[in-house]
Amino acid sequence: MAIHKSLFASLLICLLFQISHGATKERLFSDLEKGALEVTAKPSREGVLDAGIDKLSITWKLSSTATKEAEFTTIKVKLCYAPVSQVDRPWRKTENELFKDKSCPHKIITRAYDKSPQSFEYTLERDIPTGTYFVRAYAVDAKDHEVAFGQSTNEAKSTNLFSVQAISGRHKSLDIASICFSVFSVLALLVFFVNEKRKAKIEQSK
Amino acid sequence: MASNEEGSIGTSLHGVTAREQVFSFSVDSSSQTLQSDDPTAKFTLPVDSEHRAKVFKPLSFAKPHMRAFHLGWISFFTCFISTFAAAPLVPIIRDNLDLTKTDVGNAGVASVSGAIFSRLAMGAVCDLLGARYGTAFSLMLTAPTVFSMSFVTGPVGYLAVRFMIGFCLATFVSCQYWTSVMFNGKIIGLVNGCAGGWGDMGGGVTQLLMPMVFQVIRLAGATPFMAWRIAFFIPGFLQVVVGVLVLTLGQDLPDGNLSTLQKSGQVSKDKFSKVFWFAVKNYRTWILFVLYGFSMGIELTINNVISGYFFDRFNLKLQTAGIVAASFGMANFFARPFGGYASDLAARLFGMRGRLWILWIFQTVGALFCIWLGRASSLPIAILAMMLFSVGTQAACGALFGVAPFVSRRSLGLISGLTGAGGNFGSGLTQLLFFSTSRFSTADGLSLMGAMAVLCTVPVAFIHFPQWGSMFLRPSSDGERSKEEYYYSSEWTEEEKRQGLHEGSIKFAENSRSERSRKVALADFPTPETRTPTHV
Repeated sequence: MAIHKSLFASLLICLLFQISHGATKERLFSDLEKGALEVTAKPSREGVLDAGIDKLSITWKLSSTATKEAEFTTIKVKLCYAPVSQVDRPWRKTENELFKDKSCPHKIITRAYDKSPQSFEYTLERDIPTGTYFVRAYAVDAKDHEVAFGQSTNEAKSTNLFSVQAISGRHKSLDIASICFSVFSVLALLVFFVNEKRKAKIEQSK
Repeated sequence: MASNEEGSIGTSLHGVTAREQVFSFSVDSSSQTLQSDDPTAKFTLPVDSEHRAKVFKPLSFAKPHMRAFHLGWISFFTCFISTFAAAPLVPIIRDNLDLTKTDVGNAGVASVSGAIFSRLAMGAVCDLLGARYGTAFSLMLTAPTVFSMSFVTGPVGYLAVRFMIGFCLATFVSCQYWTSVMFNGKIIGLVNGCAGGWGDMGGGVTQLLMPMVFQVIRLAGATPFMAWRIAFFIPGFLQVVVGVLVLTLGQDLPDGNLSTLQKSGQVSKDKFSKVFWFAVKNYRTWILFVLYGFSMGIELTINNVISGYFFDRFNLKLQTAGIVAASFGMANFFARPFGGYASDLAARLFGMRGRLWILWIFQTVGALFCIWLGRASSLPIAILAMMLFSVGTQAACGALFGVAPFVSRRSLGLISGLTGAGGNFGSGLTQLLFFSTSRFSTADGLSLMGAMAVLCTVPVAFIHFPQWGSMFLRPSSDGERSKEEYYYSSEWTEEEKRQGLHEGSIKFAENSRSERSRKVALADFPTPETRTPTHV
């Protein structure tokens, strides 16, 4: 009976979470003001950038076409996947509902909104995966709701893209430890096996 | 006139109360010691004529029976942890190795495919070398593959390593084989259910363990892309430790180790070709192959896809999705033993026919809940459907291994192997069909998989034992064919019977009379009964 009660209680709690979450469901990307900010992202060198080493020079300023400027309180700058890096990867999908959208998961910097042009020197983090990217800056109001954005590429997300090569994650010490443990495992087994065969032969000859 | 009240017609009726020994000859304590003068022939638990334990005491570690049980399920548990260790870490791994959905899906298929072959081989290894070495080989020869995750740099390496790690799922066969030789047929459903279920729990525990280990390593300062590689050392290390324990503390058979008993002539070495032929010739093996493919098979598939499903569809955090995924696997702790127990209970009341019905019921109900899981669009309903699905399917796995030990005595190991391989085959097939392409959403894939499982459970109706019957047919009324001895000694040629090689099977046949239903057991004795006895 106690199990039934706790099951019902947990179901109720889950339902409540659903309902409270529903309040944010309607905010759509298509409702945001496009091109409100002019964003540029310049890689520190030509070719494929290395995560953890290379840098991006990011600048953003208010565009002349912006209309909702009065609401801006914070600017959130994020690293976003270009379409080519989203192919056959549904976990990076672009969705219109903002809370579902997974195309801009990497945070670069969050700064309070300032009328003057801003810039930031971003070193690519070591957990950035291999892929092709652009930079987007969301303008957020006091309620932490996005109202406008600007990005370093065009609407089709085809220009001004840059490529990043992730770190491998491998290390020599890991390789050595791996080999040592493996050899130990196989050797131990062989030693046991041979030993027992020998003991059985001795038993038989007795 | 013959009532069903326990013991009402007199104490000469064996088997009616299910609390008495069901042997056709009495076993006195002196016969227990005539087997061998091996010092390990003293038993803490009561044993039958084959020295298999007749009671199951999960909290004991007594040599050799309970120790074999614990070593067996722990080995299997460790292998499940290793095989599915990648699943909860896939969100990190797919970023490090630049994997696509197809890559992830294919690696999932690969992770269960290797075991198709290794489970087959393991059956033969157990029959020929003993369960201890079977388990130790599996654990200690695949530990290097777990460690080699530190070398992987792309989708091909990832797939290859997951494929090789998957070989260790062969411990399932050695574990079930070990318990089947250590425990009597009347309790084998429960024992195999516990061993299998507690081992399968590893698939759930890993969904919690690996993210936790990953977090700890990250806190110690490693980057995510290195931390997940270091995390793999934990399952690898566990495998080596458990392998050593199995070799030092375990024992192949109740009377001693296989090599000792073989050399002293007490256990005859069997020919692999014969063992293989009798396993393959028996059509029941193949029905069990398909059945297990759609109980354990879909369970393995779920282990690979469920965490990602809850993460993506319901937008849960990685840890939360891991907890939900873990609950699926953890239900095994009681669900599979429950299936085995239900099978044993049904056998006491209805004999083998009861076991078959229980198997069909559990598996079909589980599959129906799987269909519901795919349809559920709200989180609480999805979780409820998933839990009911997990109990049904896992109980079916336990119930199936209440039936399997009776299909053959000679080829027991190989049949365990083939059935186990069927599980992996089913998993590979369902992952390939429903979860590796963008043709179906994961939700649709789940429902379709459930529907396919309902269909593929129907063949259980065709399993027929001449001595015990099947779901819809009575046992054979032919005097000779209705005896257990006939069924089990038909696996030996006349020449082999003359040499007395089939003695073990005869003993097993006598012990397996417990699989007759209570009504049929009554017919054995010359008292008025409703059934017309043809062989009184």
